[in-house]
Amino acid sequence: MSLRVLNPNAEVLNKSEALRMNINAAKGLQDVLKSNLGPKGTIKMLVGGAGDIKLTKDGNTLLKEMQIQNPTAIMIARTAVAQDDISGDGTTSTVIFIGELMKQSDRYIDEGMHPRVLVDGFEIAKRATLQFLEKFKTPVVMGDEPDKEILKMVARTTLRTKLYEALADQLTEIIVNGVLCIRKPQEPIDLFMVEIMHMRHKFDVDTRLVEGLVLDHGSRHPDMKRRAENCYILTCNVSLEYEKSEINAGFFYSNAEQREGMIAAERRSVDERVRKIIELKNKVCAGTENNFVIINQKGIDPPSLDMLAKEGIVALRRAKRRNMERLVLACGGEAVNSVDDLTPDVLGWAGLVYEHVLGEEKYTFVENVRNPHSCTILIKGPNDHTIAQIKDAVRDGLRAVKNTLEDEAVILGAGAFEVAARQHLVNDVMKTVQGRAQLGVEAFADALLVIPKTLAENAGLDTQDVIISLKGEHDRGNVVGLNQHTGEPIDPQMEGIFDNYAVKRQILNSGPVIASQLLLVDEVIRAGRNMRKPT
Amino acid sequence: MREVVTVQVGGFANFIGSHFWNFQDELLGLAGDPDTESALSNHGLNMDVLYRTGETPEGVLTYTPRLLSVNYRGSLGSMSSYGTLYNQNPELLSPVATWKGDISTQRSQPYERNLFLRSLYEEEQKQSVSIDSKRQANSQDETQDKDIVDCLENGVQYWTDFSKVHYHPQSLYELNGLWADEEKFNNYGMGKDVFAESFQGEEMAERLRFFIEECDHVQGIQYVVDDSGGFSSVAVDFLQNIADEYTNTPVLLYTVRSPDSFMNPRNKKRNISQDLHNSVSFAKLSSFCKLIVPVGLPFLGGSKASMHLRVNDEKPYHCSAVYAAALHSLSLPFRMDLLGPTSSSISNSGALDFNSLLQMLSGDARQNMVAILDATLPAPTIEEPAVESFLSKLQPLTPEISEDMEDVHSVESLVIHGALGPGERRASVSKIQQAIDAAYEQSSFRPRFCHLSAARCPLPIPLPFPSIFSANVGNRGQLLSSPGSNSSSKGSLDVHSIPMAARLRSSSAVLPFLSNRLENLRKFGVQRGALGGELLKNWGFEKEELEDMSESLASMVKALDPYTDVSSDSD
Repeated sequence: MSLRVLNPNAEVLNKSEALRMNINAAKGLQDVLKSNLGPKGTIKMLVGGAGDIKLTKDGNTLLKEMQIQNPTAIMIARTAVAQDDISGDGTTSTVIFIGELMKQSDRYIDEGMHPRVLVDGFEIAKRATLQFLEKFKTPVVMGDEPDKEILKMVARTTLRTKLYEALADQLTEIIVNGVLCIRKPQEPIDLFMVEIMHMRHKFDVDTRLVEGLVLDHGSRHPDMKRRAENCYILTCNVSLEYEKSEINAGFFYSNAEQREGMIAAERRSVDERVRKIIELKNKVCAGTENNFVIINQKGIDPPSLDMLAKEGIVALRRAKRRNMERLVLACGGEAVNSVDDLTPDVLGWAGLVYEHVLGEEKYTFVENVRNPHSCTILIKGPNDHTIAQIKDAVRDGLRAVKNTLEDEAVILGAGAFEVAARQHLVNDVMKTVQGRAQLGVEAFADALLVIPKTLAENAGLDTQDVIISLKGEHDRGNVVGLNQHTGEPIDPQMEGIFDNYAVKRQILNSGPVIASQLLLVDEVIRAGRNMRKPT
Repeated sequence: MREVVTVQVGGFANFIGSHFWNFQDELLGLAGDPDTESALSNHGLNMDVLYRTGETPEGVLTYTPRLLSVNYRGSLGSMSSYGTLYNQNPELLSPVATWKGDISTQRSQPYERNLFLRSLYEEEQKQSVSIDSKRQANSQDETQDKDIVDCLENGVQYWTDFSKVHYHPQSLYELNGLWADEEKFNNYGMGKDVFAESFQGEEMAERLRFFIEECDHVQGIQYVVDDSGGFSSVAVDFLQNIADEYTNTPVLLYTVRSPDSFMNPRNKKRNISQDLHNSVSFAKLSSFCKLIVPVGLPFLGGSKASMHLRVNDEKPYHCSAVYAAALHSLSLPFRMDLLGPTSSSISNSGALDFNSLLQMLSGDARQNMVAILDATLPAPTIEEPAVESFLSKLQPLTPEISEDMEDVHSVESLVIHGALGPGERRASVSKIQQAIDAAYEQSSFRPRFCHLSAARCPLPIPLPFPSIFSANVGNRGQLLSSPGSNSSSKGSLDVHSIPMAARLRSSSAVLPFLSNRLENLRKFGVQRGALGGELLKNWGFEKEELEDMSESLASMVKALDPYTDVSSDSD
């Protein structure tokens, strides 16, 4: 072994040890995440060394919180997190599916089977399952008027796995309306146009959808109105502060007057910009009760604020870059980069703009807008970790609705797909496979059942009974899933339990790839540290 | 108001920051204290430049740094990422409100607060209970202070271990678990995806916006980054974002390194990776700021800069204190009141704002944006005969520079504060000015331009400052001719304040630093078949980008030394 010569401290695990290590790591990770799955799973409260709390039922969040050191576990975790990045959900499922594939393989390998054969079987099974998924999916037509009911069912299915039922159901409506609000025909959905804002306040059921925008800052002048009705909205990216950087620094003036002169000149040009805005305000508001609100991405300094306040203009500075886009979508008008572009046409409109103050935090609500294409989900919660968890759930819900709109298909949930796919592999596909690769297909098929099994286990049901009755129903031609309250088979269609097609496909694609790679490892080499140590 | 917002990214940057804010906190604490000498209690500095006023949800007023600190999860030790003011005891308030099913709680081993933090906490409790019982515990306090100093000397692990500052909840940002050992987070490539991953960059930008939005007139961003590892690329991505968002806000960048980041196992492959990291990280960082100041010597303990210090290079706690002191000095001119040319103040002179400083050092004919940091602590006494040597006491804290190059085009900004005059009396501002003018007159070599800022206020030494002064440093930082019999090093119990001087210097002495980076990038990265080509590809660099980088490094070299031939020799 040449490595030994180069680095006598390097540790080398031979084939069977390497395989053992990989299998154990996969199982270990599976054990950690397993209890997350489904509406009956366990929520995890992580308390850090300094007392910081993190609350999560989301595999993705949990993985990121863990300090994973084992190289195999890191590989699996990366795949699972990538899963979330691509499709928005399914992290837990990916991890437990990979774990189960390794577990099933373990049995066959113990009996002396070569991992290569299993891997070949996985490949066949994977292709067959993906084909089956195409047949199994329930197409939904998403024309100009999407079926809101089906969107709600998909959103509810995800949310109920993260939040308790009443809260999940309340958010379902909010999320579906949010996505439909920003959706434009013939354009891809940009979820960033749904702002997610939070307030530490009262209880979590106060969460609501604001048709319009909520900004996390307020005006910075004591005389500006805290509440204004019928507002023209100017969205701009124009510096209204005196910036010395535009002229050279003070050392290069020949005398003080010259310096003062240049400062005054610079100040004049800022004032000039402010005056142009005031002119526009006077033009559109003259003789009416209407108000004028500026939301600027750049800074506005106190002298400029003064001038604006005197004219009754409300001004916000340093708005988020994304809010520029959102404002235009919510209120209409255009974002302006220079005062030369000011015309009445660039102005947006909002029926109501008001400020809300909580301690040192200020919020500005821009509401009652016409025909909004951007909106805000305002999450209220009693403390930061609750807010963070609801936020994660809302993000997942939004992704689920978006996926449905784009997939134009959904998959029956509650484990129905996994059982159906397993039966299809065992009853139909295995017959067509030559030789021992059959066993790989079988291992794959059994591994699929980990989803309904885990759902049953988390609900405190007897997994054997559940699997047997589900298999029986499927063999009789009834596509059923698991009722987590009773353990009886149910029709997911009737109950409105639907999963995302994109998520399922992604799990089926990535899971077997990683499992195969881990099975085919010949040797693990690591220089420097002992890896047999439990981590 | 001319607010400064500070950003600290990475391990050592936060160590330095911790000392830096301790100095500020000490100054705040001493302000108006009748028992303290007036130079400290009436320092005349505008602390609002660095601090913000806020209010907790309970209505308690707060005064916290305008700071965003970025580090990886777990680097905050026993401090909560919400800081210490705003979230008293989150756990008590919170049953799980979002889930009706099972809950499993996983509790990490709580970090034990060290003696210092416990005493801070107790002090606070005491203050809220009664203020009268202050005197009785005096003698007891002294013995306890000694224990505290010892405990910090031996047991600092996190930067929070020796921090006495309250931070705002928006200030402390932890990156998600990196899924790797800290030791492996040691090159540019390791950090390249961190900023973009799962909204982390967005969250950082949002927090920075929080601090900038409330500024009426932000003068600049003081940005400290530990550029010895993966944090470089996190910092670069963040800087790029800042440059887009706050185009006209100048950024003063300190790239800092602890001595232990230089002590790596030396084998060839590591070396190439290290050299390339240095080149790439410098080239990228310098492209998004106005002025870059490399700080951090490989052997601080044995360097000329620590003539009167006993710094243990293995302790970041020690080294960071020296650099923090220098950064503190440099930040003073930003906080002095800008006065007209005729009026003057008794406590300060030579106010500068960010922009003027950066323009002065980097904006003139040469366009050199790399400055050298020199410092002397404690600064020598200003006495007539020996005044010339004052300037020679300033020793570089920037690595890889040539020591005795005299550059007639150099431009300097010198800050002296708390200097002692004859008879160990605090020298007045005008005295300092005269002395320095004289020093430059007498000096055989003069820079083209020098700006002097002077303040009467010395550097206060807070309790958690490490014991790094040698025995001949007196309690006001004067140099004793006959050091006491006790030969061990002195710390905050013996030394209460020190005079200091620090200088930023734009000079061609920095050439070796630049040309090393340029050469390494060419040799290992750009040349055909270069040894590090594969590595750089893994770090996400295309050939074109590398060529651009080496081009910009070459132009930096050329600006300082027009006669060298730095035209690309790779073709």
